[in-house]
Amino acid sequence: MQAKRLLRDFSAVLALLLIGGVFAALSPEFLSPRNLSMLMIELSTTALLALGMFLVILPGHIDLSVGSGVGLIGGIASVLVFRHHWPAPAAMLLAAGVAVAVWTAMGSIVIKQKMPAFIITLGGLLVFKGLFWLVIRNATVPVSQGGTSNLYSLLTTYYLPPAAGLLLAAAAVAALAWQELRPAAGPERRRDGASGVRPARRPAAAQEGRDFELRFLGVFVSAQLLFLFVLVMNRFRGVPLPIVILAAAALAVVVLTEHTPFGRYLYAIGGNEEAAVLSGIPVDRVVISAFAVMGAVTAATGFLQTAYAGASTTTVGELMELDAVAACVIGGTSLKGGRGTALGVLFGALIMATLLNGMTLLAVSPEFKFIARGLVLSLAVWLDTRLNKA
Amino acid sequence: MLLRAESIVKRFPGVTALKGVSFDLRPGEIHALCGENGAGKSTLIKLLSGIHPYGSYEGELFVGGRPARFHSIADAEAAGIAVICQELALVPEMTAAEHIFLGVEPKRRGLIDWPRVYRQARELLERFGLDIDPHVKAKDLGAGRRQLLEIVKALRKESKILILDEPTSALTETETEILLGILKDLRKRAALSGRGEHLPSEDCGPKAAALSGRGEHLPSEDCGPKAAAPPPGLSVGGTAREENGPRAVSCIYISHKLSEVFAVADRITVLRDGASVTTLDAARTDQREVIRHMVGRDIEDLFPRRASKPGQTLLRVSGLDVAASGKDEPFLKGVSFEARAGEVLGIGGLMGAGRTELLMHIFGAWGRRLAGSVELKGRPLKGRPEEAIRRGLALVCEDRRRYGLVLGQSIGFNLSLASISRMTRLGLVDRPAEEEANARFFSSLRIKAPGRQAAVAGLSGGNQQKVVLGKALMTEPSVIFLDEPTRGIDVGAKLEVYEFVNSLTEAGKAVVLVSSELPELMGMSDRILMLHEGEIAGEFSREEAAAENLLAAAMGHA
Repeated sequence: MQAKRLLRDFSAVLALLLIGGVFAALSPEFLSPRNLSMLMIELSTTALLALGMFLVILPGHIDLSVGSGVGLIGGIASVLVFRHHWPAPAAMLLAAGVAVAVWTAMGSIVIKQKMPAFIITLGGLLVFKGLFWLVIRNATVPVSQGGTSNLYSLLTTYYLPPAAGLLLAAAAVAALAWQELRPAAGPERRRDGASGVRPARRPAAAQEGRDFELRFLGVFVSAQLLFLFVLVMNRFRGVPLPIVILAAAALAVVVLTEHTPFGRYLYAIGGNEEAAVLSGIPVDRVVISAFAVMGAVTAATGFLQTAYAGASTTTVGELMELDAVAACVIGGTSLKGGRGTALGVLFGALIMATLLNGMTLLAVSPEFKFIARGLVLSLAVWLDTRLNKA
Repeated sequence: MLLRAESIVKRFPGVTALKGVSFDLRPGEIHALCGENGAGKSTLIKLLSGIHPYGSYEGELFVGGRPARFHSIADAEAAGIAVICQELALVPEMTAAEHIFLGVEPKRRGLIDWPRVYRQARELLERFGLDIDPHVKAKDLGAGRRQLLEIVKALRKESKILILDEPTSALTETETEILLGILKDLRKRAALSGRGEHLPSEDCGPKAAALSGRGEHLPSEDCGPKAAAPPPGLSVGGTAREENGPRAVSCIYISHKLSEVFAVADRITVLRDGASVTTLDAARTDQREVIRHMVGRDIEDLFPRRASKPGQTLLRVSGLDVAASGKDEPFLKGVSFEARAGEVLGIGGLMGAGRTELLMHIFGAWGRRLAGSVELKGRPLKGRPEEAIRRGLALVCEDRRRYGLVLGQSIGFNLSLASISRMTRLGLVDRPAEEEANARFFSSLRIKAPGRQAAVAGLSGGNQQKVVLGKALMTEPSVIFLDEPTRGIDVGAKLEVYEFVNSLTEAGKAVVLVSSELPELMGMSDRILMLHEGEIAGEFSREEAAAENLLAAAMGHA
């Protein structure tokens, strides 16, 4: 029973260790700072998109159009920069604005016309793909004028100086410690008193002491891992910018889902939409907002993914929507809505990214890459349903 | 004895659900199981139906005198036990006939023999006096018809023991009557075939007794004509000897509505805290005694209404014409009423009279207003539920699992769901404030649960209802709509709900109470409106409200 629960809670971690272990054994290159640095850049695009997808899946919808969207939005920005000589920030801002507007429109159609998101976004997938190819005219459009660098191209080529990386890690650890260890921290930790009236003080004191130790241990381990990460990154070129962007986005999603009414509403709508309406939740507005955020996330992912490729080409973003959905599902998000956590999604994305990175390193042919990814996804979901039955 | 359970003990991790239940079922009787929620009725049924397999409990079950060891639902079905659940599992797009023969479709050369399916379904439905077209799809049947369909399906399966778990909770009064009629018919049949058992004929008597109910195994060539004599009225189509011929069927009937229990049951077994307290002969007891056994104490007053002096008008509804969305015909016609501070306004009427729709419309969740106005505390109200809640109106829905709760989430999540937007600091949820509010309601409502983190899905009906109440009250409403607030909850929890109603009116709030149970309506309301086909058919003061008057109004004979 206990073992099974542990297995369920940590199945994603175990799977990750297993996959990582196999790759490390098969290729010494896998754990090199250079490869880990690349893995982090690849992770940031997959995970970023998955976090956006998470916000749409939570209220019980889905977005299949984001893969094409990544290509299209990145393409609009690169065409503006390369062919029309716009400054990169302006081009990206406009493209992002377009994305938010288009996704808001899709969300509105889903809600107001009561169309299944699956259909609307499947349509989006095809339409955006066509528009993308029209916009770049089936050509390769670099993200910057020959050889120079701009904000767009720097997205995936900029690395934090080693000192800055360490400073950032220190700041993160300090924030974490303050959040977790300050005396009045986390009233929710004390809310498990059986009576519920007011937690009995005396017996709780011992419990609280142990709680504190556990939390301290958690902070300590996280701090070590964080510094280890920065040190490893610094042995290559430093902490890559995309991973900083991902960290910021992840923090935003965690706060959004766990600490705002908006997040509550996402869970409530996915759990029982009719009850949500009658609880006074502005369901329409919440779901449309989730799609709007998805648009912004798609734009950000589009810029990163295009910058990583160096140019818009017809294949940028292809099938990324499926990786995003897979990451959510592997991370324990229910496709019916109402269940899942941002942290789980990050783990799911890490598994998908690691799998792809390791196989590329081992020069696995594309055919088998597809097959392996499909099998891992099915296996993960099967395991999740099995373990959740207990 | 057709079925016997002997000192059954069933333990779950951390809790003993059944602590020695003994129970027996005679052939052809209707045996009611009564008890508060959590008394162990559901657990006992799960045991009888094979959901909790043999070996997971202590004690012994006997069917027809032999020990029965069900390892699965299929085993129990093979032994002739069929359960008709509270929540029905029908496929919306499948027809009545398809449902009746689901899984046992008659085949011809490997293909389903559809003409035969529909012919036999029609015969079955007719035999039970049901006005259901075999071609009609489940989604087009009302809740009551669906329930009846499910029973026909169970009877077709040659079941000899029918377990009905709250079968009338979704039925209209007419449908309830049809259902109770069918049950009485089944008993009459049992009585007739029971005569067969007492035939002096040596070669078929004992067998018939042992197999009573399994018509197809009776040696009907020898003593069939008498044993299987169809009772009058049940032999429409003259198919008594066919595979669907009448058989003795015994029923275990579970209902919170004691009036129904007394209308059909031969015997009543009361469960309390996982133990069988007593078995009573229905003819020699009364509701009061049953309730006393159920709660383990005397309940002097089932409806402890303490009237308080009505104050100012909080809600004024005038000339409301409302159509269902997408329709032009008004469903509610010229509805006007007022609800005053400190009073309970009861709204009664038959199923479909528009009570729920009226509440839902005022709350902003149903229909299109054609004419009329709603004023809440002097200002017009028309809009979505979020506006209604903000303005001080709360609605506790009839179907709490569907409209009230996010079942996968915790008690705390549900309690604060409607108020969370007010508990923020800099846009973030103020957790200490939320926890404080949740703790307050959790304890004042006396919700029985391991803690506020427990999932609401695992709570009993009464405790779930308290969570829904708590959610509504946390929004600090001045007018509270309660739609069937005691449906499907036990006597003890009902009393607590009534006490809550008292404390609300004492705090100067207006309560609008919709109820299908006349005693509750009369017992708890200071004033009663009866609806009939979307119109107000009568208004009664507490003194004027007699059951006959109310019913006459509900039927449109005011």
